[in-house]
Amino acid sequence: MAGQARYLDPAIVARLGTIDLKARTIVEGFLTGLHRSPFKGFSVEFAEYRQYLPGDDLATLDWKIYARSDRHVVKKFEEETNLECHILLDVSRSMGYGSHGITKLQYASYLAGALAYLMNRQRDAVGLLTFDERIRDLLPCSARPGHLKAVLLALERVTLGTKTDVARPLGDLVQAISKRGLVVLISDLLDEPDRVIDGLKHFRYRGTDVIVFQVLDPDELEFPFDRAARFRDLETDDEVVAVPGAVREAYKARINALIANYRTVLGQNGIDYCLLETSQPLEVGLLSYLQTRKKAF
Amino acid sequence: MFGLSFLSPLYLLGALTIAVPIALHLFRRRTETVVDFPAVRLLVQSPVEQRRRRRLRELVLLALRVSALVLLAGAFARPYLAGSTLAADTPVTVVAVDTSFSLSNAQAFARARQRAEEAVQNAPRAHAVALVAFDESASTIVEPTTDRGAVVAAVGGLQAGASGTRYAAALAKAAELIGARPGRVVFITDLQQGGWDAAAHAGLADDIELEVVPVDGPLQNLAVVSTERREGRVVASLHNFGLEPRAVPVSLSVDGRVIERTSIDIPPQSAAHVAFDAPVPASGAASVAVEDVGGYAADDVRHLVLDPTAAARIAVVVADPSTLRGGLYVERALGAADEGREFAVTVVDGRALSAWDASEMAKHQALVVLGTRTLERRGRQLISGYLAGGGSMLLALGPDVDPGTLQDVLGMSPGAGPDAQPLEGGAATLVVGDARHPVFRPFTEPTAALGDVSFQRFRPIDENGRAVLARYAGGAAALLEQPRSEGRLLFFTSDLDNQWNRFPLTPAFVPFMVETARYLTAGSRARVSWVLPATPPGLQPTPGVFTIDTPAAGVEGQGRRVAVNVDTKESNPAPISREAFLEQVPRVPRSVAADPEGDARKAEDEQRLWQLGLLAMFLALAGEGLVGRRAN
Repeated sequence: MAGQARYLDPAIVARLGTIDLKARTIVEGFLTGLHRSPFKGFSVEFAEYRQYLPGDDLATLDWKIYARSDRHVVKKFEEETNLECHILLDVSRSMGYGSHGITKLQYASYLAGALAYLMNRQRDAVGLLTFDERIRDLLPCSARPGHLKAVLLALERVTLGTKTDVARPLGDLVQAISKRGLVVLISDLLDEPDRVIDGLKHFRYRGTDVIVFQVLDPDELEFPFDRAARFRDLETDDEVVAVPGAVREAYKARINALIANYRTVLGQNGIDYCLLETSQPLEVGLLSYLQTRKKAF
Repeated sequence: MFGLSFLSPLYLLGALTIAVPIALHLFRRRTETVVDFPAVRLLVQSPVEQRRRRRLRELVLLALRVSALVLLAGAFARPYLAGSTLAADTPVTVVAVDTSFSLSNAQAFARARQRAEEAVQNAPRAHAVALVAFDESASTIVEPTTDRGAVVAAVGGLQAGASGTRYAAALAKAAELIGARPGRVVFITDLQQGGWDAAAHAGLADDIELEVVPVDGPLQNLAVVSTERREGRVVASLHNFGLEPRAVPVSLSVDGRVIERTSIDIPPQSAAHVAFDAPVPASGAASVAVEDVGGYAADDVRHLVLDPTAAARIAVVVADPSTLRGGLYVERALGAADEGREFAVTVVDGRALSAWDASEMAKHQALVVLGTRTLERRGRQLISGYLAGGGSMLLALGPDVDPGTLQDVLGMSPGAGPDAQPLEGGAATLVVGDARHPVFRPFTEPTAALGDVSFQRFRPIDENGRAVLARYAGGAAALLEQPRSEGRLLFFTSDLDNQWNRFPLTPAFVPFMVETARYLTAGSRARVSWVLPATPPGLQPTPGVFTIDTPAAGVEGQGRRVAVNVDTKESNPAPISREAFLEQVPRVPRSVAADPEGDARKAEDEQRLWQLGLLAMFLALAGEGLVGRRAN
């Protein structure tokens, strides 16, 4: 329970508890709590099939279809589709960087835990997917009691992976999500922006709402180094010898351009974007975003 | 040819430490900090240092570090150019060129250069050649070398100076350069007789070949040998060193302006005086010039400073000034020097002196104490303090001196007997013990001048720790000097007031007292006339009138003029024959054994290449620091 307590800092939870997260778009399924939905009431009726993904409860596997078509599909019930919120957590090696006593991965994990907790209070189904260049771990969406604990436990056990490839897990996931819902991507987005954006667009095409949290360390924003050093990439091990004083401005221009590009293009595609610095208190960035959402709805 | 050798070659092992930076360079090239960073791809296209440029910088740094270590080890190994110190058995030819002013005539010196070049070129092939220039002193222009072109080039740079000739100096320098090697010496000189110094004893080893190459100089010469001011006018002495009578114009200039011209007839081998009629100012710089066509130019002008000089103040302490013997003879003798301008004499008795204070005492450059009977305690303390402060004193132990008070006066035991004693035989003459002492300068020739003086009584004194400058004929000490760190203290064991002897009535008394007073006041007086090669500190050895910034002790003022003139001993062109010259050179058996280690040490000491090595090492370290800093 210690890990649970770590993610569910009472102060954060207390403050989050005053805000209702409201889905931006109306999704299919039942609406319980405060969600606006075309589907009223609570039921366990069958809603749809979807492709089996590793981690899905085998009890939901439809064996008859498997016998007929040799395909693994699971049955989805309407009670679970109140709001399916998929939290996509980047665990690539670049997320292991930290300069202020907290790595980006830790920061992102806290954020994911807080969001999961919030979703759980909304009785929304929360799923967790960790990835680097491929999907590392997957917890399917569920609103059942105890699922939050599983999500938080998965967050507790998360370890650094290898290189970042956001587009690939996004492509895999988009195939697995059949209902419109909410996808929360938490990553440093140090990848090819075009591929990342293309991957996220597919969710939007399918009516899935997407929120992107870009988590960056202050060093990545300010490049505060003062002595010449050999800078080694955490993921590729590429090295660049640089004199910080000489390259700082160019670097900052590039990182700011990258951020601006994400902010602009994602916004143009109806995807919310929020930049979070690991030096900021976790709740500051989260609440700032949630306030923005609140104003929108 | 030249090769680098080392006195302590074992230190060169220290150069092996260059392996450290080389190993670091090869095996640990990443000396900079490695920073793991997520967004390196954003740095790739930034204007970071080019790799090639960085490699070059690293190589430069490596070279500087290795150089610093090698230079440090090399400096400790005490390097020297072995080629400059020849092998112990390499024969040496020393070409000694006379650069005295007797060769200042351009044509004569051109001939001397030509003879010197021929001597260099014609030296035996196996010989190394050295070049020495000599006048009053000798200096090595080129150390023994096999590079004859360098020696010939150095010959071209020789110039005649304004000093006289002293063969002994050149012989000593040649012998030093040859050392224990076989050798020969070639003298390029005009063979002036005056170049032989009777007091010098320099000689050549008997196996050193000596060759004299004469350079013809002028056979006649006129020189202005002295100038002085007498009663407001300038009097000059001229000497005709030629064999023909001369009638030449002479001029007097003051502060660069000719104020009088006249002419003078001078018989051959004779001197003549010129008394100029024009009065000269009380201060300024005067010069007397004679037109001597064909003679030496350097001695045609003689300079004189007209500025008044401060007389040296001397206090003569007597027992009772009212008597006829109260210092009268000493006062008159000192008053004769330079017509009374050289010394300002104050005769004071013991009681009056006791009323002085230390500052009044300090105004005097010397004391002559003839009597102490009336000195009170305070007066004795004043004299003792004066001596302790560096003052100079002549103490005559005559009948007016109370031996019991001398302990207080001198601040030490005088060691003088309480009673006067008669000299052996009833009277004795004075015998100079050290003729080189400045006090006896006027008595060198004829030395018999002091021998005519008869002394009857004296007071014995302890000679221990004192230099005896003169004795009585019986052996008792007459004039002694007490060694002191500052100031001078002389004891005369008889009387200087015409009581125990007739010395004050003899012709020798005045020069004796004047020279003694000059000796006592030397160092505290402003010297205005110099004869080359002696010059005031900081002045080049050139004839003329110069203003120097350092006034003499006790003389007020920011600067004063001094006159520098050539030594007219060089003015006589009379030569000696080559054979006579060779006979004059003392030959001594060779006693110097070959000492290659000593030669190497000497060469290293003279070259001091280790200092250059250390300097280069510091420069390399500074460069390394700069280059390394640019990398950060």
